Amino acid sequence: MRRSGFILAIDSYLVRKGMVSILNRMNGIAILKEFGTAEPLISYLKNQSVDFIIISQSIFDNSADLFINYPGLLEKTILLKEGHSGKETPGDSNIQAYTSIHLMEEKEKIVWKIRGLLDQNAPKKIEVHTAELSPRETTIIRLVSMGLTNRQIADKLFLSAHTVMTHRKNISGKLGIKSVSGLTVYAIVNNIITIEEVTSKPAQ
Amino acid sequence: MITRQLPMYRVVTDHPQLLPLFPRFNLKLGFGEKSVEQVCKDHGVNVDFFLEIANAYLDELYVPGEGLSFFSLGTVVNYILSTHNYYMDIALPGVEEKIHLLMDGSALSEKEIALVTGFFNDYKKDFLAHISQEDQHILPYVLELERQSTLERTDPEFLQKLRSYSIREFEKEHDRLETSLEHLSTLIIKYLPPFDDLQLCHQVLNDLAALVKDLVDHADVEDKVLIPRVAELEEKLLNTPFPG
Ligand SMILES: [Fe+2]
Ligand SMILES: [Fe+2]
Repeated sequence: MRRSGFILAIDSYLVRKGMVSILNRMNGIAILKEFGTAEPLISYLKNQSVDFIIISQSIFDNSADLFINYPGLLEKTILLKEGHSGKETPGDSNIQAYTSIHLMEEKEKIVWKIRGLLDQNAPKKIEVHTAELSPRETTIIRLVSMGLTNRQIADKLFLSAHTVMTHRKNISGKLGIKSVSGLTVYAIVNNIITIEEVTSKPAQ
Repeated sequence: MITRQLPMYRVVTDHPQLLPLFPRFNLKLGFGEKSVEQVCKDHGVNVDFFLEIANAYLDELYVPGEGLSFFSLGTVVNYILSTHNYYMDIALPGVEEKIHLLMDGSALSEKEIALVTGFFNDYKKDFLAHISQEDQHILPYVLELERQSTLERTDPEFLQKLRSYSIREFEKEHDRLETSLEHLSTLIIKYLPPFDDLQLCHQVLNDLAALVKDLVDHADVEDKVLIPRVAELEEKLLNTPFPG
């Protein structure tokens, strides 16, 4: 899985380290850099691309120009605000970050918010889940699910039995599933075949 | 967070999801007011190890690693072994029985029932193969490796074996056991016709979810604690010059 790159720009050392410890316990996150002031952050962002920036209100206010001028940066920003959620303390700037975390929030809530962002950032899953399998392999897993033998599949697709075997091996390798029943259920839950096609088919 | 001073009964009343851990440590109920530390001491259980495992089990974000690096590989191996026993003797037969009951009382067609039971049977075979490969080959190897590392001079025969084998080979073929159970849950939730015995059906889904969670934690202990530490020890043994 690809990890999302985070940078932290938080002036309070304790808050920054607390955030680091939360992020370190989550999967799929790489902390690229930490900053305590605005200037190094600004020069860093001019040269590097990141997935998310967690930033304290005061650094955010001190680098507001940057966030206005760079398109797309605001969407990556998670603003750390004083107090509880609901009791907003207005910042100096009139621009709004996409997501905010409040200092008094419970760990679970903070984690939940960050998870949500990671999920949005993740490549969208397609309904028919064949990304792992080639079209040929998808065809073969369909036929296997219908109960055809390797020989029958070979005849149907004008392939040699050996080629079918190789495909079967590759499929099992990719999915970590060896048995016919396992492949069949995989095919059903990934919408490669319907359960009716599997269960109403007369035995071959 | 569970601490050593906490009365053990509170661990269970506050976190009943930890119950499956107790047989693995050979801990029986009837704790009275004894603390976690006292109960562990009475049963010869390493309290720090118990705390580490229990807290890891509770915290979804916890990736075992650092905390477990303070314990001997033998301690970790023992825990893995008893977890395997829990799967083979309790968890898997339990969910299997419920699945059969669910099928028996259902209005599913013969082919649909065959799909589910055939799937579970094959899964059980794979599961058994996975566990026995670890019990009979991997874990004994780990114990021997740790023993060799305490010797003044590594056995030359063992060293020879080390040159051609590494735990990294096992890592490559180490399958995820929870994936198929997730498929089975999805099959029941999304694709099979609804079951009349809703109560039993929910129990099956709950059991499956609990087992999936347990297996994920277990694989974490194997992949993120055992394998890296074993690999490190292998390196160390291979790079230790013979004493002159
Ligand atoms: Fe295992
Ligand atoms: Fe395993």
